[in-house]
Amino acid sequence: MKTTRRQFLALTGAASAARVLRLDAAPAFAQAGPVKLGVLAAKAGVLAPVGESGLRGVTWATERINAGGGILGRKIELVVEEESSPKDTVERFRKLVLQDKVDAVSGGISTGVGLALGPVAEEMKAIWLAWDATTQKGVDETMPKPKYAFRSTDNECEAVMASILTAKNWKGKFRTVAGINPDYSYGRDNWAAFLAIMKKYAIDVQVVSELWPKLGATDFTAHVATLQQAKPDLIFSCFWAGDTPIFMKQAHGAGLTGTTKFVLTTGGGVHESLKRAFTPEGALLGYNSMYFEHPRASALMKEFVRWHQEKFKEWPSYESDHGYFTIAAYKAAVERAAKAAGGKWPSQDAVIQALEGVEVESLSGPRRFREDHIMEATFFQGYTTHKNKHDFVTIDPVEAMGTKQIQKPSGVGLYDWINSWKV
Amino acid sequence: MLGGAFHAAVLFLVSAGLQLVFGVQKILNLACGSFYALGAYLGVSAVTWALGAGLPAPLFVVVLIAAGLALAVIGPVVERILRTIYDRDESFQLLLTFALVLMFEDVIRFVWGTAPHQLGTVYLVYGQLRIAGSTVPVYNLVVIAAGALIALGMGWLLTRTRFGRIVRATAENREMSEALGVDMHSVYARVFTLGVALGTVGGALVIPATAATSEMGIELIVEAFAVVVIGGLGSMRGAFVGALIVGLLKAGAIAIWPEVEMLAVYVVVVAVLVLRPTGLFARAAA
Repeated sequence: MKTTRRQFLALTGAASAARVLRLDAAPAFAQAGPVKLGVLAAKAGVLAPVGESGLRGVTWATERINAGGGILGRKIELVVEEESSPKDTVERFRKLVLQDKVDAVSGGISTGVGLALGPVAEEMKAIWLAWDATTQKGVDETMPKPKYAFRSTDNECEAVMASILTAKNWKGKFRTVAGINPDYSYGRDNWAAFLAIMKKYAIDVQVVSELWPKLGATDFTAHVATLQQAKPDLIFSCFWAGDTPIFMKQAHGAGLTGTTKFVLTTGGGVHESLKRAFTPEGALLGYNSMYFEHPRASALMKEFVRWHQEKFKEWPSYESDHGYFTIAAYKAAVERAAKAAGGKWPSQDAVIQALEGVEVESLSGPRRFREDHIMEATFFQGYTTHKNKHDFVTIDPVEAMGTKQIQKPSGVGLYDWINSWKV
Repeated sequence: MLGGAFHAAVLFLVSAGLQLVFGVQKILNLACGSFYALGAYLGVSAVTWALGAGLPAPLFVVVLIAAGLALAVIGPVVERILRTIYDRDESFQLLLTFALVLMFEDVIRFVWGTAPHQLGTVYLVYGQLRIAGSTVPVYNLVVIAAGALIALGMGWLLTRTRFGRIVRATAENREMSEALGVDMHSVYARVFTLGVALGTVGGALVIPATAATSEMGIELIVEAFAVVVIGGLGSMRGAFVGALIVGLLKAGAIAIWPEVEMLAVYVVVVAVLVLRPTGLFARAAA
C-alpha cells in the first residue's frame, strides 16, 4: 500500500504525540536517570583491606536499595575511583564531580586524604560523606563548620573506649606501659588520649618505651626487640591494618605474648588475619563500630554477614558499616527532603539540611549524623578468646559504648572534655 | 641487634642484586624492588599451595627458596627489554626501570589482588631460642644464616670461578672482554638473571615474618639506595657492609631514640656522600 503524504504526516504526528505522552506518563524522576554516587576506595597497600571493606558495605547498600526500587524510583549508579595520595584523590574527586556529575561522594579513610578532601568538597559545593579520615587533629582547622562535608566519628572514640576499659578492668594489674603506634596524627592522638585517661583515672603508669614505626611499615623485628628489653606490663597499639598481624606475629615469636597485656584499639579491622596461633587470649581488641559476630546482631546485620561470607568467603569488618551508613543516610535524607518538598526531587541544599540529624538503622544498629556533621555510632570491644569456630581470635564478652559516652561534644576540646569527666 | 641483622640480611640480598647489575651492566635497576615484591607474593602462593598439598610444615623454607629461584625466569625477559637502552643516558635507564616498577606493581594487583598476603603461622614452626636473655624466633636466624651463606656464595662465585672472572673482566672493561671473545649478550643475561634471583629469593625469605603488600618493593628500593651509597656503587662487599650498617643503625635507633630511626640512616648517607663520595668500598673505576 502506498502511503500518501498526508497519511505519513499523520503517522509521524501520532508517533511523536505518543512519545510525548509516554514521557508524561513516566514516573516523575525516571527522566532524570539514575542517581550517581561517587565512591573513593583505597585499593593498594596496607590500606587496601579497609578500603575494600568500605566498598563492600556501599555495594551491598546499593544493591538492596536498587532491588527495592531505588531512591524515589531512581536507581543508584556507583562510580568507583581509587583513594591513594591526597593529591591524586583530590583529582579523582574533582573528576567525579565535574565529569561524572555525581550527586554525592562517599569514601575516604586516610587522614591525609580527608584533610585534603574537606576544603575541596566545600569549594566545589559537592556533598562528601566520609567513611573515616576525619577523626584527626587538623580537621577543625581545615573543615570549620563544613556545609558539604559530613564527617566520621570525631575524636579517636576507640582509644577513649579502650582506655576506659583498661582503667576499669585492669587497674592495679599493670604499672609499666609501652606504646607502639604508627607515626602520624592518628597514632600520636591515640597514645596521647590513652595517657590522658590513665591520668584521669589516677592510674600511675610508667612509660618504658614509645615506638613510632612509619605508617605502612611491615618489619617490626627491631621494635619487638626493643619492647623485649623494656619489659612493659602492658603494650598499647592502635595499629589498624595489615601492620597488626605482622606485629603480633613478630611479638609472639619473641615471646612477648606470654604475660604482657595487650590493648589493640583498632586491630579488629583486620580480625581474620589475627590468627589464634600468634594472638593471645585476654587481649583487649577493638572492632571500631561493628562486630561481625555480635550475639545480639540485628536481622539486617546477619543478612549482610551472610552475603559477605558467601560472596567473599570472609567475615566483614567495621569499615563496611561506615560505607553502608553513608548510602543509607543519603537515601533517607533525600526521601525526607522530598517529603518536605511535596514529593519533588529535592535540591542539594534541602538534602544537606535533611542529612543533618538523619538517623537510620545501620548494620551494627542505629547511626546518625549530628547536626554539626559528625557521625554517631556504637563502638564494640572485648577480650580476645580462642573458643570459636574460626582460626582467628574473636572477643567474649562484647562490650559496647555509644558515641554519647566516648565522643567529645560539639565545640569542646578533647582533653578539656576528658578532664571534665567525673570518674 | 638480631632484629637489625634480620633486616640487614634481606636488605643485603636486594642491594646485592642492585650492585651486581650496576657493576656489570652499568644500569641502575630500580626494578630490583619489584623482584623483591614478586618473590614475596610467589613465596606466599607457593607455600600455601604446598602446605595444602600435604607438605610437612618445616620444609616450607625449601619451597620459598625454590619459588624465589623459579621466578628468576623473568630475568632474561626483562634483560631483553633493557638491552635497548644500554647505551642511552642514565635518565632513560632510570625512567625505564621505574616504569617497570609501576608495571610490576599493577601486575601484582592484577594477579594477587590488593589485600596484603601473608603466611599464617609457618613463621613459628621452628620455635624460638633464648639468646642472651631475649627470645628470638629460629626463623629469623635461618634468614640471617641464608643471607650470610648467599654472601659467601657470591664471593666464591665472583672470585673463584670462570664465570666470576668473566663477570669481573666485563665490569672492568667491556670492550676488551668483548674483543677477547666474551659473548656479551649471554653474560649480561646471566648476570641480570642472577641479580633478579637475589631479589626474588630475598622477598620470598622475608615473607613468613611479615606480609606481602603491592608497594613493599618501592619501600625497599629507598633503603637499598642508602645501602648502595654507603657501601659504594657496584661493590659486593659494599652491599654487605652497607646493609649491615643500615640494618643495625635502624635497630639501634629504635632501641635508644625511636624518633631518629630514618634520620640516623640518612645522616650516615650524607656523611658518606660528603667525606667519601664513592662509598666505603667502591673502586674508582667501578
